[in-house]
Amino acid sequence: MRKGWSLLPVTRRRFIGGAAAGLALAPAAARRAPAQDKVVRIGFLAPLTGPVAAWGKPGLDGCRIWAERVNAAGGIRLADGSHQVEFVPYDDEYDPATARVGATKLVMEEGVSFVMMLGGDPWPGAQPVADRTGMLFSTLLPSDLGPDTPTLIAPAEVHPVYNVTAVDWLAENRPELKTAVMCAQDDALGLPSVATYLAAFEAAGIEMLEEPILFDPATTDFAPIVTRMLARGPQIVCLDTCYTDYVHPICEQLFQQGFRGQVLSCTADFYDQIIARTSKEWVEGMLFQFPDFDDPALNADFINFEDPNGFFATYNERHPGEWGAVSWEYASIMDLWKAAAEKAGSAEPAAVLAAMKEGGKGPHIFGEAEWWGADLFGIDNALVGNWPVVAIEDGKARIKEFRSIPAWYDRHGEILKKWMTEYGQMWNQR
Amino acid sequence: MRRALFWLALAAVLIALPQGLSLSQQEMLVFLTINILLVASYRLLTLTGEWSLAHVVIMGVGAYASALYAAHFAVPVPVSMLLGAATAAGVALLLSYPLFRMKGFYFLIGSFAAGEIIRLLWRRFREPFGGPRGLTRIEPMPSFDLGVWHFDFFLPASYYYLVLAVVAVSLWTLWRIEKSPVGLTFHAVHWQDSLAQAAGVNVRAWRTLAFVIASGFAGLCGALGAHYLGTANPQAFGVEQMVFVLTWAIVGGTATFHGPILGCIALTVLNDVVLRGLGLEQARPMAYGLVLILAVLFLPKGLEDLLARALRRLRGAGARTEPAP
Repeated sequence: MRKGWSLLPVTRRRFIGGAAAGLALAPAAARRAPAQDKVVRIGFLAPLTGPVAAWGKPGLDGCRIWAERVNAAGGIRLADGSHQVEFVPYDDEYDPATARVGATKLVMEEGVSFVMMLGGDPWPGAQPVADRTGMLFSTLLPSDLGPDTPTLIAPAEVHPVYNVTAVDWLAENRPELKTAVMCAQDDALGLPSVATYLAAFEAAGIEMLEEPILFDPATTDFAPIVTRMLARGPQIVCLDTCYTDYVHPICEQLFQQGFRGQVLSCTADFYDQIIARTSKEWVEGMLFQFPDFDDPALNADFINFEDPNGFFATYNERHPGEWGAVSWEYASIMDLWKAAAEKAGSAEPAAVLAAMKEGGKGPHIFGEAEWWGADLFGIDNALVGNWPVVAIEDGKARIKEFRSIPAWYDRHGEILKKWMTEYGQMWNQR
Repeated sequence: MRRALFWLALAAVLIALPQGLSLSQQEMLVFLTINILLVASYRLLTLTGEWSLAHVVIMGVGAYASALYAAHFAVPVPVSMLLGAATAAGVALLLSYPLFRMKGFYFLIGSFAAGEIIRLLWRRFREPFGGPRGLTRIEPMPSFDLGVWHFDFFLPASYYYLVLAVVAVSLWTLWRIEKSPVGLTFHAVHWQDSLAQAAGVNVRAWRTLAFVIASGFAGLCGALGAHYLGTANPQAFGVEQMVFVLTWAIVGGTATFHGPILGCIALTVLNDVVLRGLGLEQARPMAYGLVLILAVLFLPKGLEDLLARALRRLRGAGARTEPAP
C-alpha cells in the first residue's frame, strides 16, 4: 500500500504521480516518449469485436485513412510546430468494465490528447476517468451527455434527433403516406430513437397504427415481429435505430411477407447485402440517414470534409464492402478537433474544448452548426445543424436533401420533449 | 511449516502485485479478483451436480440490490454490499422452489429461463432498475483514512486491496464449507444421490443450500463490481458473460477448488494481456476460441490436471535427487 493517494482534485499528472508503481511499469508509453515529441496521440475506445463492432471498427479504418491524409499534408500545426497524428485503439467490447480499463490505459499510459468513443453502455465505465482527469471525450450518442459531463461532446451526430429530417422530408414529398408501424431493440440506442420517430410522425401528421414493438436485443427470429407489424396494413415500416444484424433480417422478412410500402430506417449499413437478400426493386426508395461519400452532393461548398469522394474511394479500396454509417463519423470529429487544436495552438483538452465551442458555433461536417442541447441533454455539448436525408435509388444511396435539425426543433421541440419524457429519455430522467 | 510458508509467500505476492503493474493492469486485476470469487462460488453449486445458467444474473441481483439500497435508503456502501449479497441469496432461495423440481439438463434450461425473466424485469421497469440503460452513478465506496494511509477507492490499487480482503475471506469460507460435512454431503448428493436419499439426506434441500450459498457470494461479486464501476445494466449480466464463467470452470476443471480459479486467471491473462499485447485486438475472439478447442481436446481434465502433473513431476524429481540414507 502506498501513502498519499488522496487525489481530489486529481489531474492526470498527479494521478500518474500518485501511482508511481503503475508509471514505473507502463513501459510501452515510457519507452516511446522521446520519439513522440512531434506526435499527437488520439485514443479510439470503441467496440472493435462483438455484435456492436460494426459501429466501431469501420470508424477506426476511416480514422487511419484520415491520419494518413493529414500526416501527408504536414500534420497538425500547433504553437510548437507540426505534429503527426497517431491513433491508439482499444476494444471496449461495448462493455463498461472494459471501457474503464481502456480509458485508464489510453489517458494514463498512452498519453492521448483526446478519446473518441461510440458511447452508450460503455460510457458510464469511462466517465469516472473523464471526470477525474478532465480528458476530452467524444460520443456518437448524445444521450450520454449530461450537465455533469462537461468534457464529453457529441460533435458528429446528434443521434437520434436527426431522424426527424427523413420523416419531415417524407411528409413533404410523399404526403399520401399516412400510417406507420415501428419496431426497435429495447436498449439505450433503440428507446430514444423510438421517442424521436414518434415525435416526428406526430409532427408530420402520420398516424402510428400501434405502439412500437420493442424486442429483446437477443432476438434472432424476426418473422413474428414483422407479421405483427404488417397485420395492421401500414404504409410505412420504421426500423428505428436497429443494429445492422436486425435491419437485414427484418428487411428480408418484410420482403418475404409481401410488404411493398415505404421502409424508413436510421441506418442501412451494407445495403448491398439487403439488396442481395431482397431485390433492387424492393429496396428502391428506402430512406435512411447516412450517405455514401461518393455522393456528388457532398462536394458542395458548405461541406466541411476534405475530398469526401477520394476518402470513399480509398476506404472501399482497402476495406471493400465495409463502408458503413460510422466510417466517416469519427474522421469528421477529428476534422473538428484538428481545427480547434490548431486554433488553440495546443492539444491540451481544456484548450481544445474552449476553442471548439468559441462563439457557440462550429464547422460540422454538413455545414456550420451550433452547440446545442441544454433542453434535451442538460448541456450545450452537441453540435447540431443540417443532416442529410438519403434514399436508395437504382441500388445506390443518394442524398435527397440536407435538412435543418434546429429548424425542425424550433417548430416541434415540445412534441419531442413530450415523447422523450414518455420514454424516460430526458437527461434528468436518466 | 512448508504450507504456512507457501501461504505467507502467496499473501506477500498478492499484496505486492499492484506495485508491479500499470494502472490499466491494476484495473484488470480488480475485475479478475472479483471474477475469481464468482467462478469459485459457481463451483460450489457444481459440487451438487447441477450447472446453472443464472449465476451471472444472480450476480447482477447483488449489483442492482446493493446500488439501490445505497441510493434509496442511504445505506452505507459496505453494508449495502452485504445486503446485496443477502438479496441475491434470497432471490436464489425463491428460485429454488421451481428450479429444484428439475435436475440435470432441465435444471440448466430452467435456470436460464429464470435468469432471463430477471433480466427482462430490469429492462421493463425503468423505476427503480433504470430500464435497458440500467443504473448509473452508483454510489462509490467512500474513501477513508487509516492512520497514515489514505484509501481512495477510485484508484484501482486501493480497491484491489479491499476486493482482495473480501475475496480472501470468501474463498476461505467456501473452502471451509467444502471441507466440512456440508461439503461432503454436497459431493454425496452429486455422486450418490439415491444412496444419500436412502440414508435420509434431503437431496433437494442440500441442492438448495448450495444454490443459495453460491448465489450469495455471486451477489457479493456483483456488489463489489457495481460500486467500483458505477454502473449496472442488464446487458452486463447476460448469457454471453455466463458463457465466460462456464468456460473458466471447464478449462480450469471443476474437480478441485483451485481448478476454476486457474481457468479464470489463465483465460483472462490470455484474452486481456497476451492477445491485446500481441496487437491481436480484433483477432481475440478467434484466438480465444482456438485456445478453448485445444484445451478441450488436449486437456480434457482441465488446467488443474496439468498443474497436478507438473507438481507430481517436481516431487518425483526432488525424491530422485535426495541422497540415499
